[in-house]
Amino acid sequence: MNDTAEPVLSAHGLVKRYGSVTALAGADLELYPGEILAVIGDNGAGKSSLIKCLSGAITPDSGEVRVHGRPVRLTSPIAARDAGIETVHQSLAVAPSLDIATNLFLGRELRRGGLLGSVSRSLDHGRMRAEARRHLDDLGIMTIQNPKQSVETLSGGQRQAVAVARAAAFGNEVVIMDEPTAALGVRESRAVLDLILRVRAKGLPVILISHNMPHVFEVADRVHVQRLGRRTACLNPAVCTMADAVAVMTGAVSPDDLPASALAQGPTAAARQADG
Amino acid sequence: MTASNSLTPHRGEHEPGAITEPDVPGSGTPTLLDRVQRVMHAQATLGPAVVLLIAVIAFAIVSDRFLSAANISLILQQTAVIGTLALGQTLIILTAGIDLSVGAVMVLCSIVMARASSELGLPGPLALVAGFVCGALCGLLNGTLVTRIKLPPFIVTLGSMNIFFALNLWLSRGETIRGSDMSPLLLWTGRVITIGDTRLTYGSVMMLALVAVLGYCLHRTAWGRHVYAAGDAREAARLSGIRVDRLLLSVYITAGLVYALTAWILIGRVGSASPQAGIMNNLESITAVVLGGTSLFGGRGLIVGTIVGALIVGVCRNGLSLAGVDVLWQDLAVGVLVIVAVALDQWIRKVRR
Repeated sequence: MNDTAEPVLSAHGLVKRYGSVTALAGADLELYPGEILAVIGDNGAGKSSLIKCLSGAITPDSGEVRVHGRPVRLTSPIAARDAGIETVHQSLAVAPSLDIATNLFLGRELRRGGLLGSVSRSLDHGRMRAEARRHLDDLGIMTIQNPKQSVETLSGGQRQAVAVARAAAFGNEVVIMDEPTAALGVRESRAVLDLILRVRAKGLPVILISHNMPHVFEVADRVHVQRLGRRTACLNPAVCTMADAVAVMTGAVSPDDLPASALAQGPTAAARQADG
Repeated sequence: MTASNSLTPHRGEHEPGAITEPDVPGSGTPTLLDRVQRVMHAQATLGPAVVLLIAVIAFAIVSDRFLSAANISLILQQTAVIGTLALGQTLIILTAGIDLSVGAVMVLCSIVMARASSELGLPGPLALVAGFVCGALCGLLNGTLVTRIKLPPFIVTLGSMNIFFALNLWLSRGETIRGSDMSPLLLWTGRVITIGDTRLTYGSVMMLALVAVLGYCLHRTAWGRHVYAAGDAREAARLSGIRVDRLLLSVYITAGLVYALTAWILIGRVGSASPQAGIMNNLESITAVVLGGTSLFGGRGLIVGTIVGALIVGVCRNGLSLAGVDVLWQDLAVGVLVIVAVALDQWIRKVRR
């Protein structure tokens, strides 16, 4: 609150209605440089609608999204991608029959140089495989041996790792992760959480949507609580307990009843450090 | 994995038990059957190729005429129409669609070409262009209904099949157009190139050339990778920034152009343009695609496989008739092959990691 750090990504007054159902009723969000912002909320609180507005999957009826203070219109996933926002979608992220390198570059394939690339539009499979290898190594994903392997031969955690690597490789500003551990076992969740921390270490801020409180409290710098279509509070996980978070999320406790130190509307110390 | 053409293709695939211990093989050493399943999963065309090989060997034993150059040429000529038609069908099926209007589009295009030449007196090249425009428009109609009005491809093409067939009868007045009334260019695909004892038609050569072109497009260009992605996991493709609707439209139009090319091959093969030709070709093209190892659920299969599939049908029909077997048993054999092929596809898709 008392800081000058400018949000990388911010949303103001987002509204989205589906017929008579209001999914977003003026939702706000700020993401500061170098932080992991967790978004939690009960079913129907507007979490997914909020995230879809930020990733370009849906267009809000009104409200504004800004990247580095500049208003952007995220009318499609491509528009969001062009604005530097990459999203790891829940369980829909990859095409199983295609290989890892193809999945990593899906929608932004590299072509060969010269006439082969410009006239016959030939893809540079070799370069894509080499770069895929490099991106996987960047995040320390060593369990995947061969970028030519088809994704369906991978375990659930490895698939998620491919999706995360893809987002980290191309996201210039923000990586959004929607329930990245929801379908995973204990050990695989662990690996994905480590990946999220490594994405932050690369300097990319992360929005993490999760139902899993222990995961949220383990990695998040701030916790955005979504309730009834808007943000009801931003909590500081270093001060709050999981029980507090759940209470605010369900409406059992008003955020005003929490001590001021439990709230974290502005950037946290970690974020300020990363910015400076 | 029948759910793969729904919006959430792989939910439920992440059983925690199966993935928490990725390094340890789940259930002891794989059996021989497991290994066969895995290899066939990795190489979609291997199974069809083996079937073709077995069929060829079996018929070669039954009839000594089977492997003669003349007979092989005959099989290739008989396969050219269905094979080329099935190449277009393969594109549609790779996107998890299906095209029941293939035969009708082909016949309509052949009538357009023939009448543009015979009735309107257009020069050969222009008559061909008219046929290709017709094919593209048919594809545009199917593709628009699928992508804009969001109707299932099965229903769209079931309806358009009847529309195209009616147009074809109206345009031809139900009459066959003789080859002698058309420009020789339209009959060029039936001309024969002799290599040694083998007599290939230009039509068969065009089919093989198209395999190379489509194979390149599907595997070496972004468009082709997107076709697979859209058939395999449509929502993932959309979220990756692929404009899926535009892509599907381009696939339907490309398929329409392939059907027009087939119409040209058909005129050359038959030596005339008949409004009644190709009525059975809808299902035969799907048969060839399925026998070629392409999955009806989309995203999996090879263009080469389709030619192998078409050859399996061609070889079986030819071999059985050489062996003096009645046509009805040929139909029965092809029917059994199709069911076995789809059952095999289901089984292969259940491969364990």
